[in-house]
Amino acid sequence: MTDLMGIMVVTLMIWVGLFAYVYRLDRKVSRLED
Amino acid sequence: MRVSDVMKWVLLAWLSVVIVAAFFYVQPAEGFIGESSRIVFFHVPMAWIAVLAFLVSCITSVMYLRRRKPIDDIRASVSAGLGLLFAVLATTTGAVFARIMWNAYWNWDPRQTSITILLLIYAAYLALRGAIDDPERRASLSAVYAILAFVTVPFLVFVVPRIYWSLHPDTIINTRGSNEFDSRYTQVLMASLVGFTGLYIWLYTIGCRIEAVRQRRRQEVL
Repeated sequence: MTDLMGIMVVTLMIWVGLFAYVYRLDRKVSRLED
Repeated sequence: MRVSDVMKWVLLAWLSVVIVAAFFYVQPAEGFIGESSRIVFFHVPMAWIAVLAFLVSCITSVMYLRRRKPIDDIRASVSAGLGLLFAVLATTTGAVFARIMWNAYWNWDPRQTSITILLLIYAAYLALRGAIDDPERRASLSAVYAILAFVTVPFLVFVVPRIYWSLHPDTIINTRGSNEFDSRYTQVLMASLVGFTGLYIWLYTIGCRIEAVRQRRRQEVL
């Protein structure tokens, strides 16, 4: 794996991780609002 | 599935494609060391979101002073917090770029100096909010502060760095008033700006909802 590919994979992992965290938070807030 | 849920998955796919394109659709720009030019696809949108968030904070602060509705105060504080977060991220990515290009994370370049002042101004906004217990007094004072703070943004972000000689590469619309970016760079950068704006809107909405729930709970306890 090249350096560029490695950095891209790490960046993608950070983005997907952030998305999953915010998505969970969004669902949790929806439950609290009900 | 609701439209807002679909938009979230579109955002995931959109920014994932932007990340892949940032690394494999464009070639490294001339005049930059190694692959460092690719950081523009993340650094510029972060700086853009910081300015957008500070603008929203200013507008909602004006709305609070006119209507005196607590939701406007919530909107202003959430947006200022997000603006500060994205400004820190823009500063960090800029420092990484500076380390690659000029062998030092920090050079006290006009842009680095002006962003530091901006960070301190908005950190003081959050400190001000934390220091006042009375909700109405806190909302009024911080609304006035947020409006005054935003007055400095155009000077610190757009004017000061262009007056003094700077190591910072040309911006998208450069001092000659033209866009000299390669067309693929422009495409990916615009897509990234759209994606980051979507992310900001999502985070802003969640932040406002969390704060509204928190205030409702607090009132129920009282």
